[in-house]
Amino acid sequence: MSVFDPVEASHAAPSDGRSWLERIPVAYWVVGLALLIMPAIAGDFMLFQIFGWTFILGLIALGLMFLGGYGGMVSLAQMSIAGVGGYMVAIFGVSAIDTISLGWPWYVAIPIALVIAMLFGTLTGWLAVRTEGIYTIMITLAIAAAFFYFARQNYVMFNGFSGFNGVLPPMLFGVDWRDPAAFYYLTLFWAALGYLVVLYISRAPFGLALQGVRDNPRRMSALGYNVTAHRVAAYTFAALLAAIGGILLTWQSAQISPGTAGIGPAIDILVIAVIGGMRHPVGPFIGAFIYVILKTYAIDALVTLGLAGERFQLLIGVAFLAIVFWSPDGIIGLWDRLREDRKRDPLTGRGGEGP
Amino acid sequence: MTDFVRRHPIWAAVTAILAAILIWMIFALWPSWLVDLIGKKKVFLNALFNGITLGGLYFLVASGFTLIFGLMRNVNLAHGSLYLLGGYVGYEFAELTGYWLLAFPAAFIVVALFGILLQLGVFRRMEGQDLRQTLVTIGISIIMADLMLWGWGGDFYNISAPSWLSGPLETILVTSQKRSGDLVYLKYPLVRVVIFLAAVTIGVGMWLLLNRTKIGMLIRAGVDDRDMLSATGARIQLVFLGVFAFGAGLAGIAGVVGGTFQSVAPGEDIRFLLASLVVVIVGGMGSIPGAALGALLIGLAEQFGSVYMPTYAVVLTFLIMVGVLAFRPQGLMGRS
Amino acid sequence: MNAVLDAGSTISERLGATGTANALELKGVSKYFGALAALSDVDITVRPSERRAVLGSNGAGKTTLFNCVAGDFPSTTGTIRFFGEDITQFPPHERIRRGLRRTYQISLLFTGLTVLDNIFLACVGVSRSRFSFLQPGRDDALMASAENLVRVVHLEDARDEQVATLSYGQQRQLEIAMALAGAPRFILFDEPAAGLSPTERSELIEILVGLPTHMGFIIIEHDMDVALRVAESVTMMHNGRIFKEGSPAEIEDDPEVQALYLGGDDG
Repeated sequence: MSVFDPVEASHAAPSDGRSWLERIPVAYWVVGLALLIMPAIAGDFMLFQIFGWTFILGLIALGLMFLGGYGGMVSLAQMSIAGVGGYMVAIFGVSAIDTISLGWPWYVAIPIALVIAMLFGTLTGWLAVRTEGIYTIMITLAIAAAFFYFARQNYVMFNGFSGFNGVLPPMLFGVDWRDPAAFYYLTLFWAALGYLVVLYISRAPFGLALQGVRDNPRRMSALGYNVTAHRVAAYTFAALLAAIGGILLTWQSAQISPGTAGIGPAIDILVIAVIGGMRHPVGPFIGAFIYVILKTYAIDALVTLGLAGERFQLLIGVAFLAIVFWSPDGIIGLWDRLREDRKRDPLTGRGGEGP
Repeated sequence: MTDFVRRHPIWAAVTAILAAILIWMIFALWPSWLVDLIGKKKVFLNALFNGITLGGLYFLVASGFTLIFGLMRNVNLAHGSLYLLGGYVGYEFAELTGYWLLAFPAAFIVVALFGILLQLGVFRRMEGQDLRQTLVTIGISIIMADLMLWGWGGDFYNISAPSWLSGPLETILVTSQKRSGDLVYLKYPLVRVVIFLAAVTIGVGMWLLLNRTKIGMLIRAGVDDRDMLSATGARIQLVFLGVFAFGAGLAGIAGVVGGTFQSVAPGEDIRFLLASLVVVIVGGMGSIPGAALGALLIGLAEQFGSVYMPTYAVVLTFLIMVGVLAFRPQGLMGRS
Repeated sequence: MNAVLDAGSTISERLGATGTANALELKGVSKYFGALAALSDVDITVRPSERRAVLGSNGAGKTTLFNCVAGDFPSTTGTIRFFGEDITQFPPHERIRRGLRRTYQISLLFTGLTVLDNIFLACVGVSRSRFSFLQPGRDDALMASAENLVRVVHLEDARDEQVATLSYGQQRQLEIAMALAGAPRFILFDEPAAGLSPTERSELIEILVGLPTHMGFIIIEHDMDVALRVAESVTMMHNGRIFKEGSPAEIEDDPEVQALYLGGDDG
């Protein structure tokens, strides 16, 4: 898995005497503040479509970054797991298809959806880790395709081709969570939480061990680790991230159908993670932002340039290829290189490696 | 063979019984209880033959995929795009010249050249970095899909077989008996039979090439032990190039076959990429006999599935894959 | 060393076993690679606190022996008992969790991590916190035992260095620290002294001699001086077989051994 090397040295121990508040880099304060006051600046479309979608796709791709960056396993099934999450909320909760939907309250439906999605992710992982390395990508792609076709052909549970519409978030605290500003904060909250948790786990025993398994499974085994169990557990955790993303995605468009978790979207998640970079959890969000901006505005841009708007895929494909060719660590790889060129960052005291 | 019987007597017995039942079902006149149970014999035979011939098509696509993977550890996720390109090129050539047969060499040459271009321009630059290569092939497949959509639009193209192949073939298999006592024989499209025989010929040819020639030995040695190959020096690059071109060319030919059986259209690239993936996972990565077995299984599963359990036909193939992964992760013919 | 015991076998099982059983008992262990026998029909018995040196030329099967015992790859035939328990079929991590440890001759360290993190990973591996999602706090017991191991192998100065920047000798010391993590009951040292300078060598001997006396080990060593100073018994291997066993003095004086091995060294 040479694409993601070299690994940053992550430190397990608290390294200095400052309190955790003082140790937060300045950049976090700036970005955090900007994101919090965004609704005062940006319009509804920006909040709901651009940022909301970015956070959701970023969250789903974050699971892939966790698997790929820390675990060395590139899975194409993340979007299918997100799809399972979305479908289960529609099936157990409320939707316009009341012949199938059970209409259970959200506090029952959502946990069930998360658990089922995590089970699905665990099963996927269990199948995928039975073979090594690059087979993973093939097996998970096949599983993603299987889920897509199954959902499309099954009418009893998945309502076939048309899926479910009218899947809405609960009116918790009297707030309409599909209101652009509310939805913005909802997705921001889960994206930020996911980001911080992944960052935290990367330096906890589980995350450190996962990175050890990626670099040297034989040695990890000789240190007492059950390598297979660790890999499968990583899939389970990644599935949780994807499932949360999938439920948010379903609420955003108020519907879920097989196309949501098709092969195209499955590959898009990989594209997002690779464009952003898999070495640090911020990568997927950068990648998602670029993807959403391209997807939203590229058509207009292409038309003004005199090209047909449908050539969006071409643009994405070329951008993806360019990244894989020239910066295998994605945008954050480019960023690191830039910073290395300007010597060490005086604010955080870090060099080229990630935090 | 005898080895297998000695080591797994129970499995050998089960296989023998199943084979006997199958042979009986193919040749015998079905008693009425069987017809009541699973429907007409004609439907069964058609599903069987469609499955086998579809397996032939899958073999053509998947054998190139598995060969490239086995030798170069390159998971070419653009393989479906090569298939589709072959279909379009074959269609254009057949339309232009009016000769269906010419579509095959044309598709082979054009797609093989394209494969050479990919190997020289892209994969050779990132040898040994299998994940990066795979990512590149994803990028290429996205771009190719869009370019082909641009060039040929969203229409369905059918490559029509020449008149001498378009009729049905009268077989010796009885499907049913009329009240008058006359036997009804199965009719089957000649073109499918011919193409299947061609696929078998290509398969046997590949097997002979790999097992009976010097270059084949070199390739097989490379599949088994890639380090050993790199020790032999510069000529290995030529072997890589040749194998990639050949594998790509096979995908191109398969595109023409697919265009004749069914049609050439956007989306077929993904379909055949998935078929190759499943065939290769089931059969065992890097193994030509594995690809043949996997293709046959998947072709049959798809056809029987669509006849006897239409809602879950596609799911059946994936179930087979999951089963193989769970119990024999290296594939049926793969080595652990 | 903080005793961080592990699940796997119950305490009573262990206590019952330790009383009478040998630390390691190999019976008829063979390992074939295709037709090549890397180990053939090896019988070895080592008492719990015994320190044994395994000598032999390259290709004698010493590292293969370790790989079979530690489970890196399974033996083709034979049984392996660890403190009375049959571990022949166990995956490596189950053997490690029962108190077996090994070091590697080739460096299999995590070069992107610091010295402390490497040892910490080793400590976590034999603890119950393997799947912990919580970062170690200030008074974390595993981190404390990792810090302690840093001192045991004299790597205090390099504690926060990335392993990639360490000298070869320091990497060997780190390798030993990782084998001491948790509560080892028996350790396999695979040529720990290979490639070390004379100073580093004596430091290594000091570390090995300073190990708690109840802790038995097998050490593969080319250097007779090192082997004979740390070991109380010696096994000679040749062509995948046990060739001679005895005390260091017996082995040194054995004419056959001298002809085969020691003689070669002198000339």
